[in-house]
Amino acid sequence: MTEPLVRVTGIGKTFAGRRAVDNLSFEVHPGEVFSLLGPNGAGKTTTVRMLIGVIRPDEGRITVSINGSTSSAMPPLLTSYLPEDRGLYREVPVLRTLVYFGQLRGLEKDDASRRALQWLERVNLLDRRNDRVDALSKGNQQRVQLIASIIHQPRLAILDEPFTGLDPLSQEFFLDLVRELRQQGTTIILCAHQMDLVERVADRVLLMNKGREILSGTLDELHGRLDARPHVRLTFEDGASADVLRDDPDVEDLTIDGETSELHVRLRNGSSVSKFLARAVTRSSIRSISTEPPRLHDVFVRAVRDDDVRQAGSP
Amino acid sequence: MTHWKRVRLVAGWEFRRYFKWKDQLIGLFIFIGLGALSYGVGKLATGGRRAFTVATEGFELRPVPGSRLSFVPAPSDTAERTRQLDEGDLGGVLRRRVDGSFELFVEKDPRFLMDLRGILTEFVRRERLGQSGLSESSFESILSPPELSVRFTDPDRQRAGLPERLLAAMFLGLVIMSIFTSMAYLLTGITGEKQLRVTESITAIIPPQAWIDGKILGIGAYSMATIANMVLGGIILATVARLTWDFPIPDIIVRPWVVMILVVFSTLAVAMWNAAFAAFASTIDDPNTSTRTSIMFLPFLPMAMSVSVLRDPDHIASRVLSLFPLTSPAAMPLRVLLSNPAPVEIVASIALLVLTVWLFRRLAGRIFEVGMLMYGKEPSLREMVRWARAK
Repeated sequence: MTEPLVRVTGIGKTFAGRRAVDNLSFEVHPGEVFSLLGPNGAGKTTTVRMLIGVIRPDEGRITVSINGSTSSAMPPLLTSYLPEDRGLYREVPVLRTLVYFGQLRGLEKDDASRRALQWLERVNLLDRRNDRVDALSKGNQQRVQLIASIIHQPRLAILDEPFTGLDPLSQEFFLDLVRELRQQGTTIILCAHQMDLVERVADRVLLMNKGREILSGTLDELHGRLDARPHVRLTFEDGASADVLRDDPDVEDLTIDGETSELHVRLRNGSSVSKFLARAVTRSSIRSISTEPPRLHDVFVRAVRDDDVRQAGSP
Repeated sequence: MTHWKRVRLVAGWEFRRYFKWKDQLIGLFIFIGLGALSYGVGKLATGGRRAFTVATEGFELRPVPGSRLSFVPAPSDTAERTRQLDEGDLGGVLRRRVDGSFELFVEKDPRFLMDLRGILTEFVRRERLGQSGLSESSFESILSPPELSVRFTDPDRQRAGLPERLLAAMFLGLVIMSIFTSMAYLLTGITGEKQLRVTESITAIIPPQAWIDGKILGIGAYSMATIANMVLGGIILATVARLTWDFPIPDIIVRPWVVMILVVFSTLAVAMWNAAFAAFASTIDDPNTSTRTSIMFLPFLPMAMSVSVLRDPDHIASRVLSLFPLTSPAAMPLRVLLSNPAPVEIVASIALLVLTVWLFRRLAGRIFEVGMLMYGKEPSLREMVRWARAK
């Protein structure tokens, strides 16, 4: 295993008596996409702010090792941060904005200008370079914002909710960009709520709730650890209700999607999918059927609920 | 990247965000236009050099050289007299009563009344002189005051005249204007950045102290440039006024060291209040809903106190005000314009002011660091003091 780029050891932060982050530890390795997940108020933003050095942890230690030098926060010239609360100077032209952020990141003006033009061409905004930022659509403003944060080709980038507010095409574009950055050698810490998107790009995830880690590992590890039970989705031709399967001996949990009438069936551990289906076809005629492992979304929801229940029960 | 390189970068960005040549030129033309307009309106209000004809009844008045009043015998026909008054051919009809007093008939407010009083006073004096039997030279000798000439051992300590006082008042006005211009741009700029969510992007890259230093310099430079533009407009107006009217321009203003002192003090004043106000603005989310924006009038108080220097620049109170850092940016330049303070006083005043600017910027940096990332409830004064004291 390579030396971690970021090592977080037992950090904690308290605001006005409220524990925002509690004894959190993790490592991020070079070249990986590490995703920090959690519901609102989980402590992700506080963790990120401690990583970038805007606030200091009350306890614990952060070590960022890049190019042989070590620091207690991300060095701004070698790293980047795309905040969740993002914005740009609206009245300033796009190119001037990018050159300014490039210069703040340590680039010379000419170099910043050259890189900005390359990126604008890459994201199909070259002809809008002299337009004011507020003349762009929200999606295009997000692209400009992302360029502003990675124009200096950082070694480590934190992207906080980069998919929020984007249409599906723009989300795909951002996914491609994340992959491209990783190929170029940039290590990425990704904070996002869109689990289906995170699933497609993250190597490892850490799930937080109420300031603490509740799950971490690779996607395969999480799926295996949380729920190995078979999961079947099916719809009936004649719109039969869920009642026809409710008394099946292998069904542990059954829900129905109100819009699509699709049944989501979770079978008991050790159950055979084929035997279950054989029984199901005798009860009604099936129109569609699919089986899938539990999605990250399900893992996320289940883990947070379990943690909430556990904490509510603890003294 | 060094601290000052970052500061220069931010200062340049802030300056260019607001400074537009086109806007400055438009501002210059508007300033000159308004100045010319107010000059013209002022001239109209005081009657300008318009001539008036006054008809006299029962006595004869001689015109005084250089006066705008001329005199003609009043028409004997009352209707004709009224017609001439109504149509403005006559400014008034002046009649002398039997007791020697005068009565003026006018159609509207006589703007020449002051001139007429002077001429009548002279007329009556000469009339009485004729009755007393004194010769005109004896009479002039009795009335004329003794001659007293004042010679200063140091010509620089000569008492300031009206032009110097006008200049000092104008300087005070310009300093106040540059402070308030800066403060207005800082308030809109900083709260705007918070509302646009630019804050976190910047604070992740550069230290808050570099950011606030850059803002203080950049926005301060912008307001100074705006004021310099107005001064340029004033110089153009004064030059034109001097060509068309004998407008006095004090020679003190062309002395380089005086100009330098004025620039140094006004620059430090803008820097000091900018630092304080940048910190304050960082604690406000929305100036439209905040109840604290009235605090921006705070700098007006020490500036207003400095007005007392205009009355007596060498009074002990003026000397104290010119050393105290909150009032010295206005008080010391006023003393320089109106009197001749000792060089050691000027140096001490600048040193204290520089120290205060440095202290303000450090404290402001600490408040700014926390305030810029804070949304929602505005911090109390106690909290702000705690942030400022935190290391």
